[in-house]
Amino acid sequence: MGLLSLLLFSPMIGLLLISILTKNSDHKSIHRYAVLGGIIPLVISWVAYIQFQGHNQLAERVSWFSYQGGQQSFVIDYELALNGFRLALILLTTLIVMLAILASVKQITKNPRLFYQWLFVLELGILGVFASDNMFLFFFFFELTLIPMFFLIGKWGHVEREEAAYKYVIYNGLGSAVLLIAIVAVFAQAGTTNFEAVQAYMAQRDDMAFQVGVLIAFLVAFGVKLPIIPLHSWMVSVHVYAPPAVVMIHAGVLLKIGAYGLLQFGSGMFPDAFPVFAVTIAVLGLINLLYGAFLALIQDDLRKVFAYASVSHMGIILLGIAGMNTAGYQGAIFQTISHGLISALLFYLVGILILRTGTTNLKKLGGMWTAAPVLSGLFLTGALAGLGLPGMSGFVSEFMAFVGVFEQLPLFGAVGVIGIILTVVYFLRAILNMTFGDPRKNKYEKMADIGKGELFPAGVLVAFIILIGVYPDSLSQLLQITLETLVTGMGG
Amino acid sequence: MISFAWLIPLFPLISFMVLILSGKKLKNASGYLAILLTGISFLLTIGVLLDLRTITEFEVIWPWLTVGEIEFQAGALINPLNGLMLFVVSFVSLLIHIYSLGYMGEDDRKSSYFAYLSLFTFAMLGLVMSPNLLQFYMFWELVGLGSFLLIGFYLYKESAKKAARKAFIMTRIGDAGLLIGLILLFWQTKTLSFLEIFQAIEQQKLAPGMITLIAILLFIGAVGKSGQFPLHTWLPDAMEGPTPVSALIHAATMVAAGVYLVAATYPLFLASEWALIIVSVIGAFTAIFAATIGLVQDDLKRVLAYSTVSQLGYMMLALGAGGYVAGVFHLTTHAFFKALLFLAAGSVIFALKNQHIKQIAGSGKHLAVTKWTFLIGTLAISGFPLLSGSFSKEAIFAALLEDGQYGLLAVALFTAFLTSVYMFRLYFLVFHGKGEDKPERTVPLCMNGPMVILAVFAVIAGFFGSQLADWLAGGQGSFAVLHHSPTWLIFLATLVSLGGIVLAYYIYLRKQINQEEWKETFSSTYTILYNKYFIDEFYENTILYSTRAISYLIFYIEKYVVETAMAFVSGTIKAIGTRGSRLQTGQVQTYGTVALLGLAAIVLFFVVKGGYM
Repeated sequence: MGLLSLLLFSPMIGLLLISILTKNSDHKSIHRYAVLGGIIPLVISWVAYIQFQGHNQLAERVSWFSYQGGQQSFVIDYELALNGFRLALILLTTLIVMLAILASVKQITKNPRLFYQWLFVLELGILGVFASDNMFLFFFFFELTLIPMFFLIGKWGHVEREEAAYKYVIYNGLGSAVLLIAIVAVFAQAGTTNFEAVQAYMAQRDDMAFQVGVLIAFLVAFGVKLPIIPLHSWMVSVHVYAPPAVVMIHAGVLLKIGAYGLLQFGSGMFPDAFPVFAVTIAVLGLINLLYGAFLALIQDDLRKVFAYASVSHMGIILLGIAGMNTAGYQGAIFQTISHGLISALLFYLVGILILRTGTTNLKKLGGMWTAAPVLSGLFLTGALAGLGLPGMSGFVSEFMAFVGVFEQLPLFGAVGVIGIILTVVYFLRAILNMTFGDPRKNKYEKMADIGKGELFPAGVLVAFIILIGVYPDSLSQLLQITLETLVTGMGG
Repeated sequence: MISFAWLIPLFPLISFMVLILSGKKLKNASGYLAILLTGISFLLTIGVLLDLRTITEFEVIWPWLTVGEIEFQAGALINPLNGLMLFVVSFVSLLIHIYSLGYMGEDDRKSSYFAYLSLFTFAMLGLVMSPNLLQFYMFWELVGLGSFLLIGFYLYKESAKKAARKAFIMTRIGDAGLLIGLILLFWQTKTLSFLEIFQAIEQQKLAPGMITLIAILLFIGAVGKSGQFPLHTWLPDAMEGPTPVSALIHAATMVAAGVYLVAATYPLFLASEWALIIVSVIGAFTAIFAATIGLVQDDLKRVLAYSTVSQLGYMMLALGAGGYVAGVFHLTTHAFFKALLFLAAGSVIFALKNQHIKQIAGSGKHLAVTKWTFLIGTLAISGFPLLSGSFSKEAIFAALLEDGQYGLLAVALFTAFLTSVYMFRLYFLVFHGKGEDKPERTVPLCMNGPMVILAVFAVIAGFFGSQLADWLAGGQGSFAVLHHSPTWLIFLATLVSLGGIVLAYYIYLRKQINQEEWKETFSSTYTILYNKYFIDEFYENTILYSTRAISYLIFYIEKYVVETAMAFVSGTIKAIGTRGSRLQTGQVQTYGTVALLGLAAIVLFFVVKGGYM
């Protein structure tokens, strides 16, 4: 078993550890085993990182089955491979899942054993999505993430949790159906689902209409996941009603499959046809950016503010992709990673807030700083990261995305920059109303500040956010080769 | 020493990090630590300045962000202009750190205060030595953060919260312009380095229209930061912050960063006539506009704030009229005397716990050092002969005359008259009169000391005009010329300044001119001025209102269009689902198995069928 397979299936260890425990074992030991189970993939992913640094590639391939049909042979193999972008996403996944487990220790009191079982299945699915080197495996793992999320939302969520879970499954199920049709269409043509092989095949054939058609399907399928407006309403429900620890993974990693898919399936496989969509994607990006921002402006629930902020931030990813150049793609990838870290931080803090106050209603919160200065300071830090303050990861990604889109579409870029004003308005409105102001407005006067033990996950996330913001080359070095393949495929 | 210039901002950064992480434990030591580290930065700056006498330009850069074949860099650029700014920033910052020991002495969030102050100093020092526009922009935002945190320092006050948010948002509007400008510039020149941009302009690589557009976009950034019309409204509200902060950030350094931006990219502006005209017209308008508001405000700090807006307008006016040295000169002298005025005002507030000038009614006279230093500052800003302000203002008038901008010169002279009226109104009302309130506490030495030092600089800084011109010419070149006025202009400027003082004397001290009568005769004018031309209300009813309207429009689209479509889709699927509901067992594991098996079946089906499609 190669390192990649080991990494991919490492969440199984956690799953087994948890499953060995009986249903009646005390919660403390369940949490302890879960933490252990979270550490294993984390460590292996960093080993993979070191290995990758040495050789700049890491791949595994086992023939699975092939099939002769008509003139063509059809091949489906078990293929895993890493590139810089995938590795970055895998590191993000193992980190955030680990931190989400730490967050769950206090948040999840109802049947934690089952919770963690689903959580590890989910991690396995996500790792599979990012490690697969062909569309078939990708789709398999993509589907695998659907099921555990459904239960994690439906069983451990808040208020309208079941409705949110159904919304989630319906939207993503429809997205998967579209994705499957597109994948099958490509497979039927090319006889392979390997990303590179498909690209090579498509480069030979000058079948624009087919490629554009398939790309539209991919745009819809990943548009659900990203999400692109108007396919977003499931994602807002999940943000609001899923348990914050799960939202850390959902907003932090799962939504990133959308951006990853667009880049990998779009420009990765159809470098000639993809630029046709530049303007379309730019328009969609602007809509996401502004629609989300304007809605975030008037929400009364902190979680909704963050949800629409996510919608808005996904607009920046789309704008970067619309640039169709190195700067734009790199901006989109940076935004993917950066937004993962930032939203994980924000929802980690939301979880802590809910433990203390039981609410995220902005009308009920206020003047928190006096009672809980560290928690308030962290919220402000998260908001500053979200609004793209230089020195934090958000700025680097926004800057590159805008640089990218300005080359060909300066007008779109200019309108997009206006979005960064709105970002400040809604983040500060929400956070300042909650933390600043008369301490007597705080109905939870005696609320405890963030505890020493709770500081660690927040600290780790802040550290990564600042690391990327202060020294972005730490991430961009990893990405250069991936970007070259993405951009050179397009002939410039 | 100059090769270690990049170390200068790091000491305040260390101070910030130590204080934010363990400030609670340090308690009183936090202030001393911040002073020590800022002091080291100041000494290093002096060392760099000594080197700058022989080396006129020094640049060190490191790769920061690789994007394919593009490399963005970070580093330090030291030239005479940057050296001067380094001196002003580190010097004033050090004095204000010391002053804050007294002013903030009893605040229990003292360590946070010094942490923020250090953060600001770090950002400001990093800003003035940026070798490229990207780094400049980053520090530009970070000084904004420092300003935001300090305006909102008294965070339990509703007004402080609003002011902090407003400052961040209003300056961000300008920043959006700056960001667009610098990205456009990047695609035009393929670089963001100041030196390479200047080369590109010299080689005429840019179309004239593009230069004008970019210059105006950069200027929008400067308008936001330097409180120029129409983005000025945040600056008076920023007075919610502790007074030493107003002195450092909202008088001497950060708000001058906009002026510095125009100065640092001056070749770009010189290449576009239209850009220069816009800069000077906005500057002149802001100068007179803010001065008229300053005439009638009753809050000690707000008068000074409008005065700052007005003086920054002066600097822009000078730069727009080709008075590069004059603008930078006024920036420097203004940093000294305006910081002095704010610190003196701070001592009044500290001792009397009051900042309403009509309520103070002369009680300031019990504070001897404060009174005399405030008088020096007032004389300096009013352009009293031989004090620093008179020299730098005269240089601005001369530049306007040289440029043939007679209309703007008239505006500038009239503004100078208004300046001495409102400043002496302030002085007479605060320090002369009945003075019934006795100070609640004495002003300690650590507050008086910085005031006296600044007073010395406010007096003597003016004598170094021609040295400054030589100094700046060493690095930049042809445009660094100090213009000299003809005798009649010097005479006129002096007359205007003294005339204002005399008028204020008769209104507010001798009370021979009845101000109440004036108020009634010109009641509508008075109302307009007192309400600052209703600009805030105008923004509230137009921009903010329409933003909210758009938000609600989208809110209803979300609620009725998107959600309805969603309900329809999910309704259809649920209907199909209920037919199959007999298969539901309620067991979670079964669902999982079924879903996986289903997937496998579908895939297998397609794989087998694949060949015939």
